[in-house]
Amino acid sequence: MPEKPLGGSDEVNPVVDPAAEPLALAESPQPEKTRSAADDIPAPALDDPAAVATPNPAPVVVVAEETRVPPAATIRLERKHPLAIRWMHWVNFPVLFTMIWSGLLIYWNDSDNAYQHPHAVYRIGVGSLTIVRLFPPWFWKAINAPYRVTEGLGYHFFFMWIFAINGVLYVTYLLISGEWRLLVPERRSIADAIQVTLVDLHLRKGLPPQKKYNGAQRIAYASVILMGFGSLITGLSIYKPTQVHWITSLLGGYEMARWEHFWLTMGFCAFFLVHVGQVILAGWNNFRSMVSGYEIVPAAKPSLEEERRTG
Amino acid sequence: MSDGREEREEQEQRRKWEKEHKDPDRYHEEAPRDWERDGDRERRDSQAVEAMDAEVRAQSAKRTRRSFLIAAAAAAGGYSFYRWIDRSPGDQLIPRPLRKMLNFNASVSRGIFEDRGLAPTYPVSRSMELRTNGNYGLKMDLVPDSYRLQMVGVANAKAFPQYVDDVTAWEYQYAAKKDAGPVEHDTKVAPKADTTSGNGSKAKADPNSDAGAGEGPMMLGGPASTMSADGGDKKAAEVKMPPAFEAAFAALKKSQGNKRPRGQEEAGMSDNTLDPGTPGLLLKMEDVTSLPHRDLVTEFKCIEGWSQVVHWGGYRLADLIAKYPPERNPDGTLPKYVYMETPDGDYYCGFSLQACMHPQSLLATEMAGRPLAQWHGAPMRLHMPIKYGYKQIKRIGLIAYTDMQPDDYWTKLGYDWYAGL
Repeated sequence: MPEKPLGGSDEVNPVVDPAAEPLALAESPQPEKTRSAADDIPAPALDDPAAVATPNPAPVVVVAEETRVPPAATIRLERKHPLAIRWMHWVNFPVLFTMIWSGLLIYWNDSDNAYQHPHAVYRIGVGSLTIVRLFPPWFWKAINAPYRVTEGLGYHFFFMWIFAINGVLYVTYLLISGEWRLLVPERRSIADAIQVTLVDLHLRKGLPPQKKYNGAQRIAYASVILMGFGSLITGLSIYKPTQVHWITSLLGGYEMARWEHFWLTMGFCAFFLVHVGQVILAGWNNFRSMVSGYEIVPAAKPSLEEERRTG
Repeated sequence: MSDGREEREEQEQRRKWEKEHKDPDRYHEEAPRDWERDGDRERRDSQAVEAMDAEVRAQSAKRTRRSFLIAAAAAAGGYSFYRWIDRSPGDQLIPRPLRKMLNFNASVSRGIFEDRGLAPTYPVSRSMELRTNGNYGLKMDLVPDSYRLQMVGVANAKAFPQYVDDVTAWEYQYAAKKDAGPVEHDTKVAPKADTTSGNGSKAKADPNSDAGAGEGPMMLGGPASTMSADGGDKKAAEVKMPPAFEAAFAALKKSQGNKRPRGQEEAGMSDNTLDPGTPGLLLKMEDVTSLPHRDLVTEFKCIEGWSQVVHWGGYRLADLIAKYPPERNPDGTLPKYVYMETPDGDYYCGFSLQACMHPQSLLATEMAGRPLAQWHGAPMRLHMPIKYGYKQIKRIGLIAYTDMQPDDYWTKLGYDWYAGL
């Protein structure tokens, strides 16, 4: 699931299109010109209200031939990630890290191989057959986990608030801003995701068209939000299994809830690895947009603003 | 690595793909171009275009610089926040912000749930013998006939036949352990010995293990196993005290009748250990067993992470409290807390009165249909499914009503006082 801006990245579409009607300038004052994709890219940027940071149409060289589109920048800045999302994304990173780290300190308690109840819950196996027990002693030693339970509990029950509040704010923001339209999987997302994955694995060529996120990203990002919600619910059912025992029971009981909480965390770790890998592959322009909010895109690329408003 | 041919092929492929999947938003499609006619003009325009592109990039660079500066400041802020927590002075062995948050969480939990939820119960067939974990306060067998339950703070205590002027004067009789029981490793706190790794070899070095056998140094009047002086305490033992202090200490010991000091485990002596001369009741087991008998099959949950369904038999703590109710404060309110302790004062727990009044808070005398074993806390221990196991004190020697939040063994070692589930 590449975060690559689509468009093969290298060739920026030649924008100055002589075949198009020459009246782009005359049209440009219209503030809300809705761009239907059918009118193939006449004068980009200039008439695009969303091209927030387009430089003041720079010294428009008035050339002799008046029937021509004046030269325009081939690239523009796309407001890709709103400020709120960037903040919440980056706040979540160390907070989730702290939750996982403190969770490991707690979990160490129940994972001591030497004693009589090894891994009743945290293992891969069926019935009495255990294929993998989590985790081996060298792992615990490497992360210096033994006997730091109180620290783990203290941090876990401190940062859970930040994790929960940040998550609630994030989802609320998605709903209010319309950003959810860019992120919730669509009908075609599954097929797209398969295609994207095959392309990523160099098994097939040709990325499907995408707006902000491709199908694989939509599915991944929507899932990780659901996983966060799952972590909160399973966490609560472990934290207060008597007071909210109906939730605990719905989740399959206390031990099941712990198992689910654990594997959701493993899911976060897997997501993290793929996510970071893809960000590295997607390159600087994409990564920068998660910090500054803006991505440099071909001027002709339709703005995301419309999708935010209407889907 | 990519030559032009490959790229052209890829573009061709994509165009085909897009045509097949008719997407209204496509924007890549280029109108056919007349290269000959356009060539000149493009050369002329290209400089202007480049300048404008450069302007866009400059804009981007400006935003990027600003954003990364803010990001760096935020990262520094976040790290300082972590450092502030981590380096805060400790409050009962964890940084104060963490302790405050535990207390805050407790009040949120009390506010929302009021500790009224009932734990689910299970069929007896699902239950099993509880694993033993922690033998603090149980290092020797208690002679059953010598058992008395001390109750302090009971209303109208003098009216009860069990009233005595000094409950602390009662002498419990101990015997060497007949059967150590399946005493297991406790991971809630690091052993005092220097082996702190979590792997197999430590099992033997675990300083708690001697306690199970009942032959540790503590049996001989020495310190309890977890404080064994062959660890890091050697230096402390070598410190020479002034003779005046030594004399005063010896006098104090003598005045205590050379009794074994209380609070010999890692958390030390409880602040709530009774002063000599505290009046109260000395109940016999019959006073408890005359209450209505109850059975309860609930899931026992240890903060270490494990849980077991256990079949308990015993008496409601609420019934005992009703029989021996707390003395009201001068303003007519009930004391807010209950404090419990093992007879030797090594292990102790504090509770809210409300938690003790919970209908599932049980003074357990039986487990799995059999009388409690010594290592499970005979003759009477607490089972409280609204709390973690570390609150479910074994071998209860004292139940005291109090209006101040009582001391708690594991709280002193960094755990939550509330421990509510």
